[in-house]
Amino acid sequence: MIIWSIAKTTVGDALRKKVLQIFLVVAIGLIIISLSFSQTLSFSTREGSATDIMLVKSFGLGLMAVAGWLISVVMGVSLIPQEIERRTIYTILSKPVKRYEFIIGKYLGAILTLAINVGLMGIVFIAVTVFKAWGAETGTATTSAGITEAGMQKIGVFDPNTIWGVVMIYLQFMVLSAVVLFFSVFLTPTVNFFMGLGVYIIGIMGSMTQSLASAEKANAFVKMFYKVVHIVVPNFDKFQVTNQLLHPETHITSMAKYTAQVGLYALLYTLVMMTLAVIFFERKEV
Amino acid sequence: MADAIVVQDLTKVYGGRLGDSVVAVDGISFQVKQGEIFGFIGPNGAGKTTTIKMLLGLLFPTSGKAEVLGMPAGDIEAKRRISYLPESPYFYEHMTGAEVIDFYCRLFKMDAPTRKQKTGELLERVGLSQDGNRTLRQYSKGMLQRIGVAQALINDPDLLFFDEPTSGLDPIAHKDIQELILSLKKQGKTVFLSSHQLSDVETVCDRVAIINRGKLVKIGTLDELLHAGRTVVTLSRPGEDLVNQLSPLAERVLTDGEQVRFFVETEDNVHKLLDASRGKATLVSVVPQRQTLEDLFVEIVREVRK
Repeated sequence: MIIWSIAKTTVGDALRKKVLQIFLVVAIGLIIISLSFSQTLSFSTREGSATDIMLVKSFGLGLMAVAGWLISVVMGVSLIPQEIERRTIYTILSKPVKRYEFIIGKYLGAILTLAINVGLMGIVFIAVTVFKAWGAETGTATTSAGITEAGMQKIGVFDPNTIWGVVMIYLQFMVLSAVVLFFSVFLTPTVNFFMGLGVYIIGIMGSMTQSLASAEKANAFVKMFYKVVHIVVPNFDKFQVTNQLLHPETHITSMAKYTAQVGLYALLYTLVMMTLAVIFFERKEV
Repeated sequence: MADAIVVQDLTKVYGGRLGDSVVAVDGISFQVKQGEIFGFIGPNGAGKTTTIKMLLGLLFPTSGKAEVLGMPAGDIEAKRRISYLPESPYFYEHMTGAEVIDFYCRLFKMDAPTRKQKTGELLERVGLSQDGNRTLRQYSKGMLQRIGVAQALINDPDLLFFDEPTSGLDPIAHKDIQELILSLKKQGKTVFLSSHQLSDVETVCDRVAIINRGKLVKIGTLDELLHAGRTVVTLSRPGEDLVNQLSPLAERVLTDGEQVRFFVETEDNVHKLLDASRGKATLVSVVPQRQTLEDLFVEIVREVRK
């Protein structure tokens, strides 16, 4: 009950932040504008329509990733420091509230806010891709140079795997929110913002750090360094499925199964970060 | 009666790793009895809020002991029976007054009917029953302070910590808070009051502790702390010779038209002055003046600064 009450209050407070509202409105606006993107300026060819849909999907997913990053980091960096600055934390922690209840409540509030934001962007994005697919369906089929047959088959039909793309965006920022919340226990919001940026950039290069960790020519120290980086920093590369969604020929056998596996990874990583956040927050002076 | 608060050699040092440590609270010891209104005063940066935060478990002491209601400071069971009103409290602005009280009720795991009843009662008690459905961003400073008081009364606490509860309030709200503290005393509650409003402290407190630069300088009842002071004897038309004769008995002499006021320090000198003036001037008044808490506070702080 206590955790849920703190989470609900956090959501209410976060949804009223002007800066987050601006990120959301701009992102949704740009996703809608992407409807007008067209390489062929018409739906006259199947090839052109396929390219248009790819463009809309690529743009939409990329935009949601940027907006999701901004929302999770901007919200996350101030979760604890703002409570201290406003002194709301004093009236809460002087009540019979355990510190872990407070921190979990704040995190739950943050990921619920993120869910609302990504959810809204996702609905608009899916609506836009469905509309684009419907437009292609009404177009005229011609030749298909440059687009594989597998890709062509998707034209005119909404690809349900697009939804998993949105879920992946949410999952990665759920993890990033946990990282940023952990840092917010002892870092100032500005330092934490750049920490969040750094962690995300390194995490996105997960495949690269993995390759460097197992490079045959590298010395043992360098290999060990990259191995530690690869294990400690969340592997955000796992969550990047835009290519698979755009090129069905390289499709993961089961997107749902892959999402579940990555979801489990996200959950475990979040659990570790939250445990650390709770341990550090127990000794935090407010 | 058991002590509501026990503080023993309590010390708080901030920083220190880079040699820039600051001793905010320096080995203070005191007790607060149950049912007592205890004033905790000192200049800015004296260590008042740091002490309160240690008693609430928001800060951890560097050394020493702090007990609240017989339990270690910060104990979750103790927190069920205490409450805290911080200086200029801030609450989530998007919520209404009623929602804020409901939120704090939830922190005590109260069920829905109890929360509803409590919210109504408390809004009524702090005079906000008409404004319960307005969001806090529409509230004035005084109304926010009233919400702060309401959240501090949710659990019917045995011990209340008030940090500058009247800061920035208008005279009516100020008076209301004073009356609230006195009504809490009548109910047998213990109040730990930190304030710069020394007249408030003097009006409502049973005992007072003065802290300066982290050290406890004085502690006691107002009678123990404030000495009897001087007496002002006012005579009408005493004549120049008589004034010259009586002046050595007074610390200060003030002439105001036909009246002359003699500020006399000792009781013995008061008697001598009255005997000497009998039949030579008209006695207007003899008024004993007690030292105020403000006089004592200023005297102590200046002495320490020297």
